[in-house]
Amino acid sequence: MRLTGRRTPEVSAWEEFPVNQGALCRKGWSAAGLYGSRERLTSPLVRDRATGEWSAVSWDEALDMVAAGIRAAQAERGPDGVAVFGGGGLTNEKAYSLGKLARAALGTSQIDYNGRWCMSSAASAGIRAFGLDRGLPFPLADVEETDVLVLVGSNLAETMPPAARHLDRLRERGGRVVVIDPRRTPTADRADLALQPVPGTDLALALGVLHLLVAAGAVDEDYLADRTTGWADVKESVAPWWPERVERTTGISAAEVRELAAMLAGSPRVMVLTARGAEQHSTGSDTVLAWINVALALGMVGTRGGGYGCLTGQGNGQGGREHGQKADQLPGYRRIDDPVARAHVAGVWGVDPESLPGPGRSAYELLEALGTDDGPSAMLVFGSNIVVSAPNATHVTQRLESLDLLVVCDFVMSETAAIADVVLPVTQWAEETGTMTNLEGRVVLRQKAITPPSGARSDLDVIAGLAVRLSSVPFATAPEEVFAELGRASAGGPADYSSITYDRIRDEGGVFWGGERLFGSSFAHPDGRARMYAVEHRGAAEQPCADYPLHLTTGRVLAQYQSGAQTRRVRALPDDGPFVELHPLVAGRIGVAHGEPVSISTRRGTMSAPARVVTTIRPDTVFVPFHWVGANRLTNDALDPASKMPEFKVCAARLSAVVVAG
Amino acid sequence: MTERVVIVGGGMAAVRLCEGLVGADVAVTVLADERHAPYNRILLSAVLEGTHSADALTLRSAAWFEEHGIELRLDTRVVEIDRTAREVELVDGERLGFDRLVLATGAIPTLPPIRGLVRRDGTLHPKVHPFRSLEDCRRLDASVTALLETPSPRAVVVGGGLLGLQVARALSVRGVLTEVVEGADHLLASQVGPAAGGVLARDLRRLGTEVYTGARAVRMTDDGVQLDNGATLPTDLVVLTAGGRPSTALARRAGLMVRRGVVVDSALASVTDDRIHALGDCAEHRRRTTGFVPPAWEQAEVLAQVLRGQEASYDGHRNVARLRATGLDVAVLGDAQTAAGEVVEVTNPITGSHRRLVVHGGRIVAAALVGDLSRVGLITQLYDRGTILGPDEPGQLLLPEAVDAPAALPDDAEVCACAGVTAGAIRACDSVAQCVDRTRATTGCGGCADVVRRLVGSAGVHRVPVG
Repeated sequence: MRLTGRRTPEVSAWEEFPVNQGALCRKGWSAAGLYGSRERLTSPLVRDRATGEWSAVSWDEALDMVAAGIRAAQAERGPDGVAVFGGGGLTNEKAYSLGKLARAALGTSQIDYNGRWCMSSAASAGIRAFGLDRGLPFPLADVEETDVLVLVGSNLAETMPPAARHLDRLRERGGRVVVIDPRRTPTADRADLALQPVPGTDLALALGVLHLLVAAGAVDEDYLADRTTGWADVKESVAPWWPERVERTTGISAAEVRELAAMLAGSPRVMVLTARGAEQHSTGSDTVLAWINVALALGMVGTRGGGYGCLTGQGNGQGGREHGQKADQLPGYRRIDDPVARAHVAGVWGVDPESLPGPGRSAYELLEALGTDDGPSAMLVFGSNIVVSAPNATHVTQRLESLDLLVVCDFVMSETAAIADVVLPVTQWAEETGTMTNLEGRVVLRQKAITPPSGARSDLDVIAGLAVRLSSVPFATAPEEVFAELGRASAGGPADYSSITYDRIRDEGGVFWGGERLFGSSFAHPDGRARMYAVEHRGAAEQPCADYPLHLTTGRVLAQYQSGAQTRRVRALPDDGPFVELHPLVAGRIGVAHGEPVSISTRRGTMSAPARVVTTIRPDTVFVPFHWVGANRLTNDALDPASKMPEFKVCAARLSAVVVAG
Repeated sequence: MTERVVIVGGGMAAVRLCEGLVGADVAVTVLADERHAPYNRILLSAVLEGTHSADALTLRSAAWFEEHGIELRLDTRVVEIDRTAREVELVDGERLGFDRLVLATGAIPTLPPIRGLVRRDGTLHPKVHPFRSLEDCRRLDASVTALLETPSPRAVVVGGGLLGLQVARALSVRGVLTEVVEGADHLLASQVGPAAGGVLARDLRRLGTEVYTGARAVRMTDDGVQLDNGATLPTDLVVLTAGGRPSTALARRAGLMVRRGVVVDSALASVTDDRIHALGDCAEHRRRTTGFVPPAWEQAEVLAQVLRGQEASYDGHRNVARLRATGLDVAVLGDAQTAAGEVVEVTNPITGSHRRLVVHGGRIVAAALVGDLSRVGLITQLYDRGTILGPDEPGQLLLPEAVDAPAALPDDAEVCACAGVTAGAIRACDSVAQCVDRTRATTGCGGCADVVRRLVGSAGVHRVPVG
């Protein structure tokens, strides 16, 4: 998109831009809606804990206060007494500087970010299977070249509408689309085959599909022998997953499982893409591995128009996880426990490698530890609205409230900012320059178009302002300079940006790190082979029972984004509030009609919202969108052992009609 | 000291138990009488049909057992259990000590009382095939392949249960003219009622397989199979699928309590000797024996915990029996014939379907679905989870799913969700180009393009002249 307009900025389509060819959804069209908004924060604010009143202070006062709080926390609890929480919407430059702030200036290991709740399962699986994690190892437009596209837990027609155009072009070409989702979504309406499994059973479905591919002799034995290891174990592990057993576990009829397998077996090119529906589970990374196994067994990974990819959920979901705001990583997707990586990055930062902390807690574990005896007592939050987006949110909010110091950088008074001690007003997208790495691994440049309101500062300035008060490590604030430093720090790492410059990005319409297409001849493991892992179906951590008989799943709606801190404030976007989507059978069971209020409870919390009665959802499942406060008071904080992804996508719930008095 | 666990049998229950014992502090020996590493027995009819490669059946290879330190002895037959010495004796006289013994001996096919089935030397008539093991399957497959070279090959399947129907369909799909003989009054008599059995028989006949119910095969002659009604069915092959019985001879000889199966308690231990366990088809728990894989696997999971010294108990199971046969749709949940409760039933003889839900206290406690498996996945979930349903739900579950009827779009209906454009706004445009320009409809995901093309310029159509 481009920004035009004289007095008030307007968004216009940029048709030459290769990723979306100018197509936008209403969130894109209305993205300038928060310029000049009354809700925009333009001065640092400090909250009086006794009265709850906010008062405006100068930037120096605010930063001094924050620095003093950090010193106090670290004096009492050591370097790890302060935590940093980042976001997948931050630019690469900010994500990099944030990681550097934590490790080099604060010396704390306690840094993680909300991307842990987004793509971490796919990332973990990608690293294990391919030795490398890049959401799509090919340009998104390659989707149009496949013969069967399998979307596992993706509703891209609503979550990234311009991408849905690829589905239409694929089908015009004669290709077919399969959508796997407990809800028959607008994406599923465009599918040739839509399967609605019980939430938390995508893994079993993958095992069943692979079972049938083996039975039909449809696996590519040559490819498996030449390019993978572990196939023998995987093959045995799917022997017990015949279609009728899959039916009993997944709720998908054996006939449909056979139909899917036959479709895959009979197609020259197959592409599997997973998204949050498959990944946000306590078994998320195993689920991704199971689908990767399907793509590998068909010999598809690394072929043009085939393979496996993950559809990224946040603006900079990919870059955000590459440059060091993840608890276990240093810039360039390096591991923080790798001595070579530590020495290299410490060299770029001009610090002693020994001074760098080791791996810290993952996002949810970090939040759980806040204010506890061995956890941090102060936290800095950048680009994240934890109160709305964390699982088991009531509990997490209590942890946040137990801190001695909570600092939130945002440009509106988000629900998390509202309980902070200090709120620092920062610039928003068109007011600053920075790079993002999109779902294809393509580094794109978002350039400053308008002047920010006086009083707002870039996160880069905030980070540098704190660093100068707390250490002697220099921090650049000019985005291009930060990017060049990021390039040096990432040099030689799996995500190596050292050859990318702003000029190249401008000239080439974005630059893919690692190349446009990956895995054509080799995977990123030392032996060049992909690893196949035999994974077992375990199911959701919390299963329905007599007290909580339904599955609850959560997700997005088209007009809102993430915690809604921005989109709920954009007037051009309809905000109808949350709702509970349920099937007429369940509506009849509890005696509620469309539009009437319904109360939904889990072991962790309760919320009420109007019932939306639809025939498109599984009758044993209800859906609540997560853009408003409430949904995540219900969700389960069970974590995936490998990725530490919380189980946002399924827990056990109870519904009842709300009786309105009078 | 590490306990020695000896498992007699190498079937599906045994392999599941071994999986559960990986990493446990026990020394496991599996004594399997077949020559093949444990395989997925229930898919044999699919192998016969040709839809499943035999290669895909292996559950765990010999290498897997070796890798996990489990001793797998194939082609090994146990002849005696010495409970006093805690030893088993093999057919060659070798004796193996155990601390815990697990009987996973499965079932043996019953030979129906048909004269001429077994020849004087004790072997089966050359046209006769049992169908239980991979070896049986291979033999039958070879016979079928040879027969297909001859003109109009024919087969008779004795037994109209799940396995019989699967085998009959497999043979039929292969091109063998197949007939089914069932002694009971209708097919699948132990699972479903006469109406459902009737639907199945009709389906089979439609698919070209003749069905004789209430008829017993009494004699094997050179001409074919003679029935008790005097008719003779000429045939080149006879396949025996008339059920099996728990294999309990070892347990009986060892003095363990055996009724139909080896009687076990909730720790799956023999009520006579708590060092000896039994599971799967050979075990009898609360007066029930099974014959299906899912309960055997549930038992294996419990027994693995017991053998690891953990608290675990088996309190019965819910079974779902599914027919795996091309062109025949059957699912039976629980005991659809005997379960107590209110019965909700929909029979449609015109389309050939019969579906029955047995509901007790709002829960589906059993079900039989024949000829129409719509919502089988959901009904199975509701059954397995014991979900309490509203009074109308069981009936609605058997009705066709409501389809959202395509209605004329009201003006305030949102057509383009990406840009938030209503039908009215699109109707007010004269062309698609004007609509794109004015409203941005179709420029996001593009999903509304067809509707927009239909709606543009149609505003006039909806104006009804007044007066």
